[in-house]
Amino acid sequence: MKKRVVITGIGVISPLGLGHQEFWNNLIQGKSGLSPITSLDVSNYPCKKAGEVSGLRPADYLGDKGLKYLTKGTKFLACATKLALEDAGLNGNNNLPQHAGIVVGSALGNYSQTTDYTYDILRYGPEKLLPMDSYDVALNSSINFASVFFKLKGPSRTVSSGFTSSTDALGNAFNLIKSGRETLLISGGVEQISLDSYLIFLMQRLLAGSQDSEPEISTPFDRKRNGFILSEGSYVFILEELESARLRGAKIYAEITGYGTSYMGSRRYSIEERVKKAAKAMALTLEDAGLEKESLELICANGNSSKLVDLVEARAINAFLGERSKEVMVSSIKSQSGECYGASGAMQMTSCVLAMHNSTIPPHTNYQKPDPECELNLVSQEKIEKNVKNAMVNSLDYTGNCSCLLLEKKSW
Amino acid sequence: MRRVVVTGLGLVTSVGANVRESWDALLRGKDGTGEITSFDTSMYKVHRACEVKKLNSNCHPAGKNRYTVYECLYASTKEALGDSGLIGYKDLDPERIGISVGTLAGELTIFESELRDHPQRKSDGFSMDVVLSYPPMTLSTQLAEQFGIEGPNIILINACSSGNHALCWAFDILQEGKVDIMVVGGSDVVPQTEFTHFHNLKALAPERCQPFDKNRQGLVVGAGAGVLILETLESAKRRGANIYAEMKGYGLSSDGYHMTAPHPQGEGAIRAMTLALDSSELSYRDIDYISAHGTGTPLNDKMETLALKTVFQDKAQDIPCSSVKSMIGHTMGAASAIESVVCCLVIKKGAIPPTINYETKDPECDIDCVPNQARELEVDFALNNSFAFGGNNASIIFGRV
Repeated sequence: MKKRVVITGIGVISPLGLGHQEFWNNLIQGKSGLSPITSLDVSNYPCKKAGEVSGLRPADYLGDKGLKYLTKGTKFLACATKLALEDAGLNGNNNLPQHAGIVVGSALGNYSQTTDYTYDILRYGPEKLLPMDSYDVALNSSINFASVFFKLKGPSRTVSSGFTSSTDALGNAFNLIKSGRETLLISGGVEQISLDSYLIFLMQRLLAGSQDSEPEISTPFDRKRNGFILSEGSYVFILEELESARLRGAKIYAEITGYGTSYMGSRRYSIEERVKKAAKAMALTLEDAGLEKESLELICANGNSSKLVDLVEARAINAFLGERSKEVMVSSIKSQSGECYGASGAMQMTSCVLAMHNSTIPPHTNYQKPDPECELNLVSQEKIEKNVKNAMVNSLDYTGNCSCLLLEKKSW
Repeated sequence: MRRVVVTGLGLVTSVGANVRESWDALLRGKDGTGEITSFDTSMYKVHRACEVKKLNSNCHPAGKNRYTVYECLYASTKEALGDSGLIGYKDLDPERIGISVGTLAGELTIFESELRDHPQRKSDGFSMDVVLSYPPMTLSTQLAEQFGIEGPNIILINACSSGNHALCWAFDILQEGKVDIMVVGGSDVVPQTEFTHFHNLKALAPERCQPFDKNRQGLVVGAGAGVLILETLESAKRRGANIYAEMKGYGLSSDGYHMTAPHPQGEGAIRAMTLALDSSELSYRDIDYISAHGTGTPLNDKMETLALKTVFQDKAQDIPCSSVKSMIGHTMGAASAIESVVCCLVIKKGAIPPTINYETKDPECDIDCVPNQARELEVDFALNNSFAFGGNNASIIFGRV
């Protein structure tokens, strides 16, 4: 007997605010979380903007002890997890079910701290380094810390599949509960801006404004788009098996009804083939949920302002929707939030769940010049009041997967 | 639910460049430990590791092998695909074959060697070689590219239980019927960074790895890769594939206790093994062989013994339970994948590799660790344990088909 999976808590640490309320309020007001980078010296480089988390005081969430050796990303994840648990009414020592687990997606994890440690070894010599210097520098140590800090006894897993990492993590958590293996999982994504992540994307010319003549602006599906603007943060959900959530009288935001993925990364694929693969992931997701296309009302798109990926996604959405493409609304929030790479799927899902919850779709800011190759039923510059029952979240990694999640608003 | 079987194996270890060489060496009790050659260890108190010295394939036609994580992964994948009869096999839908791979630190050694050659600041930028190998995901996408695999593609990063996590992931989607075949593995080499991390935690043994020995002093870091072709029984039968074993079930858990030390009573380990037995619908009495996590650190081996006694009760001291880490070192993200390959070979070949370097009995580790000599034994069910740093546990059970 397949179990049903519901979302009972949301925790957000983002450039658009701390906590899902602030994130949502800023989002629907069309505010931008993107501003000149302060945490890195980028004076020698062309791209100056990013979506950085500001004003976070981890001690307010986690207490004073043991924070000294934690990386920025580890703090993001632990704080977002704390907020999600509080939101789900599971804060406190004895409230968490005995075998809660954690499944989180991160494309780069704490890798920048791993390489910082490498620099230190080569610069100062290993004997100068203390054991605590490598306390939190493993790729997956943010998730380890959360599992230790919240005393989780269920699985802890770090999923790394590039830009679809958190979507694949959420999809995996969904499947683990659906199959009856687990009853409560903390799931989402985390990324942090570092010189490493900035350079890795800059040197591949994926960032907006990485070529002189182009403006540094995030404007998904717009003809003037020329790359994404990097952002950071952590977006965490409490996923629970429906019956156990109802038994404890939990507030339920929405149900996850489907997950699908397909690989579109091969260099052998033409754009047409990638479009086909991405459309297939969307169709698989719908099929997984047993939903008819006619019932789908909203797509929370990957749309990150990248020239190629937006094109592939727009064409895939149209291929997938067919006749329905005139009616299904497409929302992208990355003009405001930036591209939170491995955590983007969880970020979009946050927006998606809150849009359904508040019957409002956030605006599509910065959009000026329609691209005839990306014709979609996009949300306007103003937010839209609309009751949405079924919505899809898309994640695309041009060198990897296209992964999607399907959500349904429920009232119990 | 579909049944999931193993139809191909691939290995790269410090004692052999393929399954046959590695298996022969493991049964002979060969120690793969040697002086580290890939970086200067004069500043360390420990100078030894189990490095890979030979690869049978070269995935860069132009260049020579650099013994990267990807090269080890590629070599063992090629072997496993060949072993399962999938190379050149025509009647396949590439979208029904997926990849899941575990690693600890990705291609850190590429970054390290560049840094050694050109000392610089990070802000000076990276070479494209580093840029393109930096995200861990590139391991599995390169594999997909090179072998034309077009199904689900994932990297799991779970420290030293990464390989088992990758197997569990694959098992789930095969059981569900989302794919027919999964290429599953783990790969890691010996980055100076990880070596330093373990060194400064005083987790490294100075000379050799001695799991369950009273005088064990720690782990020895190792390089290698293990790859298994997991397949639904249906698909394996359809193409008449050779079957090594069936993956019966698994258990995942966390200690939720400490970033580096295991839970002293092995709470998480007990739960992982118990869940593995439950999901396999087996009793502890059914297990004939245990591939121990057995790192040779004082804490792990003591904890693992305690946990084994809790789960296996009256049988705890009778079930042979060896650690190949005594021979090939702790290969981190690859370890549990390699040990899963070992479990399949144990079932298929009816022999158990020993725990070498065993000299002095430890009353706190009073299990049958198959000391120093391989043993012939018919094994129907084998349990593979992996209990990673951070209390990240994954146990898997393989059975005879």
